[in-house]
Amino acid sequence: MILLAYILIALSALAVIGISTTHRRMNIACIIHASLYTVLTVYVLLFQQVPVASFFIGSHYFFMDYFGLFEVLIASVIFTCAAVYAGGYVESLLKSGELDKSSLKLFYTSWAMLLSVLALAFFCDNLALFWICAELTTILSAMLVAILSARENIDAAIKYIFIASASMLFSFVGLIFLFETSRSVMGTGTLNWTELMLYAPAFPPRMLVAAFALVFIGFAAKSGIFPFHTWLPDAHAKAPSAVSALLSAVLLNVGIYGIIRVYAIAHQTPAAATIAPVLGLFGFFTVAIAAFSMLPERNLKKLIAFSSVENMGIILIGIAVSTPLAIFWVLFHIMAHSLIKASLFFSAGILHRQYRSRLSTDAVDEIRDVFLLQPLAAWGIIIGGLAITGMPLFPVFLSKLFILLGLGAVSLPALLILLLLLFVTAAALGYFVITAFTQKTQPGIPSDIEPYVTPLTMKIPLVFLIGLMILTGMLFTPGEVSFLDRIVGELRF
Amino acid sequence: MIDTSIIPGIIRILLVCVIITAACIISTRNLLSLVSMYSLQSATLAGLALALYALEPAPVLLAIAVVTFLSKALIIPYFIATIQEKIRIKRDIEFHFLSPTSSLLLSMALMLVVYIALTRILEGTPVRENLFFFGAVIGISLMLMGMMVMLSRKRAITKVLGFLSMENGVLLFGMFVTELPFIIEFLIIIDLIILVLLTTILTVGIDSTLEDYHKRLHRFRLLQGPEERP
Repeated sequence: MILLAYILIALSALAVIGISTTHRRMNIACIIHASLYTVLTVYVLLFQQVPVASFFIGSHYFFMDYFGLFEVLIASVIFTCAAVYAGGYVESLLKSGELDKSSLKLFYTSWAMLLSVLALAFFCDNLALFWICAELTTILSAMLVAILSARENIDAAIKYIFIASASMLFSFVGLIFLFETSRSVMGTGTLNWTELMLYAPAFPPRMLVAAFALVFIGFAAKSGIFPFHTWLPDAHAKAPSAVSALLSAVLLNVGIYGIIRVYAIAHQTPAAATIAPVLGLFGFFTVAIAAFSMLPERNLKKLIAFSSVENMGIILIGIAVSTPLAIFWVLFHIMAHSLIKASLFFSAGILHRQYRSRLSTDAVDEIRDVFLLQPLAAWGIIIGGLAITGMPLFPVFLSKLFILLGLGAVSLPALLILLLLLFVTAAALGYFVITAFTQKTQPGIPSDIEPYVTPLTMKIPLVFLIGLMILTGMLFTPGEVSFLDRIVGELRF
Repeated sequence: MIDTSIIPGIIRILLVCVIITAACIISTRNLLSLVSMYSLQSATLAGLALALYALEPAPVLLAIAVVTFLSKALIIPYFIATIQEKIRIKRDIEFHFLSPTSSLLLSMALMLVVYIALTRILEGTPVRENLFFFGAVIGISLMLMGMMVMLSRKRAITKVLGFLSMENGVLLFGMFVTELPFIIEFLIIIDLIILVLLTTILTVGIDSTLEDYHKRLHRFRLLQGPEERP
C-alpha cells in the first residue's frame, strides 16, 4: 500500500503545478515532491519489512526491494537538489529569454512526472512494465531537453528519442524471448522478475543468451554504452544544466538497472559464461571511446557528458567481473557517480550562465578570469573533477579500486589497458581545467564580461552535494555496508 | 464461419502483403503515399490478428486487432497527414548512406540472416511450428527494415514512419511467438501514441526550420538578446 503514497504525492504535486501561476510556486512544488519521496524512501528502508509486496492487479506487477529503493533514494536526493538549483537557473533562463514563460508549466509538469515515472520504474516487478516506464522516462526527459525550443535542442532531443526508443524496441523483442523461455519451463509465461529468478536455473542457456543480447541493446542505448552512446553528449550538453544533471545522474541509472536485473537472471545459468566477456568488451570499448573523445573536447558540458559514458563503461566492466564483491562496488559506484556528476553539471551550469556565447548556443564557453568571477563553480569543477577521476578521500576512489582489483584477478592485461584509458580521461579533464581556468584578461584592458550574480539557490545544492560526496568517500557506516550487501544478496551473485 | 483449413493460407498471403508494404516504405519518395502505405500495413496487421483469432480464439487477439486498427490505421496516419499539411513537405528525396535499391537488397539479405538465426535460437521450443515460425521471421525482418528507413532517411517525419514500422514488426513478432497479458499490450500502445505525438510535434520544429531556415534563425537570435544579423 506504500506505493499508493508515492502515487498520491505525485498526483498532488502535479495538481499544485497545474493550478499555480508563478514560477516560484511550481518550483517549490517540485522541491517538496522530491524531498517527500526521499523521506518516504528512508521511512520504508528503516521501518518496513523489505521486500514490500504490493497490491495484486491480475499479477504482482509492483514490488519494493532493496535494489529498487536504493535507486529511488539516489533519484529523489538528486531530484531535490536539482529542483532547488532549477529555481535560480530557470529564473535566469527566463530573464535572458531563452525559455518562454508559457513553456514553464510544461517544464515543471514533465519534471514532476519524470520523477514519479522513475520511482514507478524502479518499483516494477514485471519487466515489461519496467520497459514501459523506461520508455516514458525517455519521452519525458526528451521533452525537458527540447524545452528551450532552439534548433540545437530539438535536434538533440529527436536524436535522443530515435536512438533510445528504436533500441528499446529490440529490448522488447528480448523480453518476448524471455517470456517464451519462461513459458517453456514453467508452463505459464511470466515476466515477473522475482518468479523468473526462482525458475532461472532451469532456463535453456541458448534462449537466455539471445534474450539477454536483445534486452542489452535497448538498455545499453539508454545508459549511453558504445556504440549507442552518440545521443548522449549532444543531449547532455544542450539541455539546461539542471536537466543535464538529472539525465546524467539519474536517467543513465535506469539502463544500468535494467541490465543488472536481467543479467542477474542469466547469472543463475551457464549462459553467464558467454555473456560476461561480451559485457566486459562493450565496457572496454565504451571507456576507450569516451577517453579519446574527451581529449580534444573544449566544451565543458560535453566533456562531463563523455565522462559519464566512461563511468558507464567502468560499471559494465564491474558487472562483467560479476563476483559479489565487484557487484557491491558497482552499486557503490552508481551512487558515487550520481552525486559527483550532478555536482559537476551544477558547476558547469553556473559557468555557462557566466560565459555562454551570445551568438550561438552551440559555441564553446569562453572561460576567463574564472576565480575572480565564479570562484565557487571553479572549485566545484576542480573538486568534482578530482572526485570523478578517483582521487583518495572521494567515493569513486574506493569503487574504482575494487572494480579494478576484481578485473585484475580475471585478466592482468585487461587491467593494464583499462588503467591506461583511465589515465587518458584524467589527463583530458586536467588539461581542460588547466587551460581554461588559467585564461586571464590582459592587464590594462578593461574586462567586457559582466559578472553573473549566482543566486543562493544555485549555490546551496552544489555545496550540499560536494559535502555529501566527501562524506560518502570518508565515512563508511555499517548500515551502508549491510544495505549494499542485502542488494547483492537479492540479486543472488 | 470460414473453413479453418484455409486460414493458414490467408495468413501467409497477409504476411507477404506486410513485406510488400515494408518494401514500399523503404523506396517511396512521396510522403503522402508513405503514410497511406503505413496505414495499409497496420490494417494488414489487424487482419492478421483477426485471422489468428479464427485459428485459436483468444480474446487478446481480438482486442489487439481493434486497438491496432483504430490507433495505427486511422488515428496516427491522420495525425501525421495533418502535420504534413502544416509543414508543407511533399517529398523526401534525400537519402543517407543507402539508396532505396541497395536498401531493398540489404533487407533481403537480412531476412535470410534472421531466418537462420531464429532457426538456431528457437530450436526445441513450440514456436518451431511452420506457420508461426514464418510469422516470427517476418516480424523481425519488418523491424530491421523499419530500422533501415530510420537510418537512410533524412527528414525527421520519415524517420517517425520508420520507427512506427519497426514497432509494427515487434507487434507482429509478439503475436506469432507468444501471448502477452492484455494490460501490457494495451499500455505499450498508449506509450507509442504519446511517443508519436511528441516526435511529430518536435518534427514540426525541425522540418519547418529546414524550409524557412533563415527566417527562424533570425527569430531565435532576437530571443537571445543582442541582434546579430547573419
